[in-house]
Amino acid sequence: MTLSHLSSPVTVNWGITARCNFVCSHCFSRLDRSPELSGKDARRVVDILAERGVMFLNYGTGEPLLREDLFPLTEYATGKGMKVTMNSNGSLIDPAAADRIREAGFHSVGISIDSATAGAHDGFRRMPGSFGKAVLAARLLRERGIPLSVSSVICKVNHRDFAALVSLAKELGAHTIDLHNFKCSGMGGLNKEKLDLSPNEWKEFYEAAVPLRRSEKGIDIAFDDPILSLLGEEEQGKLVAGSVCGKLSLYIRPDGEITPCGFIPVTIGHILNDDFGKVWNESKVLAHLRSKPATGKCSGCAKFPSCLGGCTARAYAVYGAYDAPDPHCWKEE
Amino acid sequence: MVPKRNPEVVWRLEKGIHEMAWDKAGKDEDYEDLGVLTLMVKGSIHQLNLVGAEIWTRINGVNSVEKISAEIGALFGWEDGETREAVLEFLKGIAERGWVELSEKAGPASPKWKSH
Repeated sequence: MTLSHLSSPVTVNWGITARCNFVCSHCFSRLDRSPELSGKDARRVVDILAERGVMFLNYGTGEPLLREDLFPLTEYATGKGMKVTMNSNGSLIDPAAADRIREAGFHSVGISIDSATAGAHDGFRRMPGSFGKAVLAARLLRERGIPLSVSSVICKVNHRDFAALVSLAKELGAHTIDLHNFKCSGMGGLNKEKLDLSPNEWKEFYEAAVPLRRSEKGIDIAFDDPILSLLGEEEQGKLVAGSVCGKLSLYIRPDGEITPCGFIPVTIGHILNDDFGKVWNESKVLAHLRSKPATGKCSGCAKFPSCLGGCTARAYAVYGAYDAPDPHCWKEE
Repeated sequence: MVPKRNPEVVWRLEKGIHEMAWDKAGKDEDYEDLGVLTLMVKGSIHQLNLVGAEIWTRINGVNSVEKISAEIGALFGWEDGETREAVLEFLKGIAERGWVELSEKAGPASPKWKSH
């Protein structure tokens, strides 16, 4: 069945804090100086999202464990039936924190590991010793039966070593490894030349990684990249074509402003000051993202109906236009 | 036979769209392609139409196929035999996907894990 317009996002990615104890080279939010919501307002956010039927709440942006009310807030959200996940650099997860993560009822926790080699990971994260801490965090979570995913940003540092990364994630007991494509937003934009792959390098990466996904047993390898359509590869069970931003998910900044995704810094409302349903249903920006026209080399491309121009965030970051072709696309003009 | 949902399936009824589908059904308009209920299973997202949603919401580990079929038949004005066959076919299909388990007798009712 084709997707009807959803009554609300399936997932809301929420930057509950912009604070972080790392200074990663690719971070989309390190330049974000917005104040974070109070505990009381954060609970109002949960009330609004639960009332609208949002199923998954994912904490990201800064390091969630720096937020003092992380656990009571999570208990509040899970008590309302939401499935709560978070992405963490793992540095603050000791046995006591892992116990609290389990008690709070996290549905799954993603730990960022960008290389199976400590030096490469620590260099990318610009934090000596961070690899060891991330691996330890993953083990502590699994020892407590907490579902684990490993989150990796594919870039110059690791695009030829991803198989070792997949093996490490599997050894750690992760159910999924997310091989995120590099986004040139925030610090990622400033360090694009140093870190991002060329379109042909992306092609080489996916041509090697997709067969591994097909053959690998015991762990799911997720890409969530619409340009996979170029290889005739569709994400299973995604239900929508192109980027999921504004179709299945939305992003809430630490100060409560709503954007289509964390990598598209275009405010479409405020979670506490605007009617969330109205934003979801009536935003002109979201309407645009849901029906992007083909432009440039996308015009006449046979893959356009399935990729819809690729990643909107990348196009917007590089060309300042939602409809521009994805800069990672390797198709010739 | 009693169907029981897989507790790992996260789902919701689509507010407004459920009502819209019933409105269309009442006016004898097409409603079969409207996604009324959304499910998330192991990272994959799926939708059920109005009939599928009405069956799904009646699965609780206690209601038998006969009871669910009788209620669906009454809701849509369908004949008993045809309804049972259609409901069973639907249940077998989603059992193959791992969304439900079909057992011969009722167990304890499903926990209130459903999201919304």
